[in-house]
Amino acid sequence: MTGNVLRALEAVTAERAGTALLSVRGLTVRFRLSGGRTVDAVSDADLDLVPGECLALVGESGCGKSVLASALLGLLPANAETTGTALLAGPDGTGPTDLLAAGEKTLARTVRGRRVGLVPQSPAAHLTPVRTVRAHLEETVRALTGVPRRERRARAEEAAERAAFPATHLDRHPHELSGGLAQRAATALALIGDARLLLADEPTTGLDRDLVDRTADELRRHVDEGRALLLITHDLAAAERIADRVAVMYAGRIVETAPAHRFFGPAGPRHPYARGLLDALPERAFTPIPGMPPELTALPDGCAFAPRCPRATDLCGTRPEPRAAVACHHPEHPRA
Amino acid sequence: MLELNGITAGYDRRAPVFRGARLTLAPGESVGLLGPSGCGKSTLARVAALLHRPDAGRYVLDGTEIRAWRHRAPRELRTAVGVVFQQPRTAADPRLTLADLIAEPLRATGRGAEAAARVADLAPTVGLTPELLSRRPHAVSDGQLQRACLARALSLRPRWLICDEMTAMLDASTTAALVAAVETYRAGTGAGLLAVGHDRVLLERWCDRTVEWKDCLTGGDER
Amino acid sequence: MADPRTHRLRLWTSAVTVGAVLLAVLLVPPLAQLDEQAVDLSAKLLPPSWDHPFGTDDLGRDLLLRCVYGLRISLLVGLVAALVATVIGTAVGAAAGALGGRLDRGLMRLVDAFSSVPHLLLGIFVVALFRPGVWPVIVSVAVTHWLSTARIVRSEVLSLRSRPYVDAAISGGASRRRVAVRHLLPAVLPQAGLAAVLMVPHAMWHESALSFLGLGLPSHQASLGNLVQTARSSLLAGDWWPTLFPGLLLIVPTLAIAGLAGVWRDRLNPRRRSELML
Repeated sequence: MTGNVLRALEAVTAERAGTALLSVRGLTVRFRLSGGRTVDAVSDADLDLVPGECLALVGESGCGKSVLASALLGLLPANAETTGTALLAGPDGTGPTDLLAAGEKTLARTVRGRRVGLVPQSPAAHLTPVRTVRAHLEETVRALTGVPRRERRARAEEAAERAAFPATHLDRHPHELSGGLAQRAATALALIGDARLLLADEPTTGLDRDLVDRTADELRRHVDEGRALLLITHDLAAAERIADRVAVMYAGRIVETAPAHRFFGPAGPRHPYARGLLDALPERAFTPIPGMPPELTALPDGCAFAPRCPRATDLCGTRPEPRAAVACHHPEHPRA
Repeated sequence: MLELNGITAGYDRRAPVFRGARLTLAPGESVGLLGPSGCGKSTLARVAALLHRPDAGRYVLDGTEIRAWRHRAPRELRTAVGVVFQQPRTAADPRLTLADLIAEPLRATGRGAEAAARVADLAPTVGLTPELLSRRPHAVSDGQLQRACLARALSLRPRWLICDEMTAMLDASTTAALVAAVETYRAGTGAGLLAVGHDRVLLERWCDRTVEWKDCLTGGDER
Repeated sequence: MADPRTHRLRLWTSAVTVGAVLLAVLLVPPLAQLDEQAVDLSAKLLPPSWDHPFGTDDLGRDLLLRCVYGLRISLLVGLVAALVATVIGTAVGAAAGALGGRLDRGLMRLVDAFSSVPHLLLGIFVVALFRPGVWPVIVSVAVTHWLSTARIVRSEVLSLRSRPYVDAAISGGASRRRVAVRHLLPAVLPQAGLAAVLMVPHAMWHESALSFLGLGLPSHQASLGNLVQTARSSLLAGDWWPTLFPGLLLIVPTLAIAGLAGVWRDRLNPRRRSELML
């Protein structure tokens, strides 16, 4: 690729970063284990997310994508070391907040729920079993907004409506809800603080295909209302359905970021791992990528995918720097 | 043949999860059972694996009518059906290494002497390295653990394999790898397969035919 | 979990204290070659001094020596009783949980029946059946203490029994016995062991309470309960040491054992990979 094109791409990236709601640069998370070992859960991740956009972060389980989400919310255990920046644009012209540098107090009082809403992985476990959905909603309204007591009921009902949670089920307990309704209840909770950034961590795991589609479409609706959504998932079908852009993570690194239409379309992704992941889908070749991902405690110096890669050469013993949003020495050419 | 007829099962006799389910698998056939979550298809899979006693109905496995379930079922019948569950975390004893996990059925049936060779045989077919075999479940990923659980189900060379949402928690590449391992085993042994799940695309690609859960219940022959 | 430094501090203070107590009760009696029963009426009720660090009692017996002997007997009773109670409790709990049905209901009603009687009353009833001595006290403590272990073990077995890995074992041809021995028992034993350790101080207190009421060990035998009992009259006279030191020797090992058990409990849950969110 010529230098001019690269520079143009860099400029586009810089432009994105300028208007971004969330801009992550060089995010690295390490866990120190007993015995002096370290787990390199996330290495040098860059991401930008603008309002009205859905970015899907995809990868195998254990690739570090959930750790990345937890790092953004400051929810990592004490043995984690985080470096890099994650700037979250401030509300209405105020300066951005660095989520990685902010203290627990700031995160708890001004960020979680208010500026970043979390749609959890297993909604049924996220809800308190002994309280009704209405009680959950009113409690969250009370905690996040200054709404006086008599208006809370109305606000809770509004929140339920926004997440398409039926008003007839508000007085039920979590165990009386189907998986889809529990997911909507959790989404309603995430929306109460009117956060502009939504973080969804595997929101569709274990749901039926119909329910996956419905949940994904509902999330997309919130994106179309101008929110930004970081969708963390291993479900490529859900990502294809609603994402604008796709970031592929492998062994803690983001190896490719591409527009969804190119990624899932005839052109296809350029990183051999991303291509292998797509080819493993039952609607495509249904062939697995040979081998297994490396241990995060013992990552190779060079490209982590090289041992499984059909295109690997000696050059892959050195770490590929991202060029045009692909971190590969031998990226594939567009298929079509 | 695996013939389930008029099966009524559940966890409370007064309110069974389903009534009168019917499903027939020809020897060596692979059938995908499709249904929404919570419909009872997993319970039917447990009945077929002799792990759940139905309240009513008739189950004939390779010509033998099943009259006892769980520990009461004769060992040859129990071990003729291998099972892989949805969640490898809860399906693996956390105290055993992956090698012991895979060898456990052999040791439990008094064939511990063959264990080492069989594990060495099976591990590469499901993609496990010797280093991973020495670890315990908490030190491996869900995908790696599910590979071990599949190897365990295959260790006694069952004539039937039941995969209950085996890949629901897994990514596309691990799913494809596990399905390939199952198919390699079936090609070598002619074993039959009942794959239960909700992913139509996956099951239609994987199995000879798929059956809708509601067609199992209406009593009409699903073919 | 607490900050690792307080965690380590707790572990070390508890371990050192338990170690010191064990060393004292094991080594002092054979090495010191002193008679804890030696009466010296000329030196009765002396306050703590260099000669008698814990002072002397109303018969002039050295209290330090009597306390060590008392702790020895109390600890012995506590350990043996806790062991017996744990074995009974684990056996009953495991049988009830693993076999279920009528046996489960029967055994649990028995546990309920035993629990409904106040422990001390039941304990007194048991010791009253025998001549005073160490064994009746051990039996009395064991009979009243296996109930909680039985409940813990039963509920643990019940929750384990419905795990898919037990289903997988059954499908793999495992017999009932093998499921119990290989999959259920190893999961339950650490819990039962923890309950046993926590029961040791409890049993010591029970023994002391019986002895304090004059129903435990013969009153000439130094046990912590007996020591406090005989010191009661001198306490009214303003002599504080004969009650304070046996009391402390009851409280300090209790706290230390509880501290060690706490560390054990934390270790019981191995750090899961999922806790690193990988």
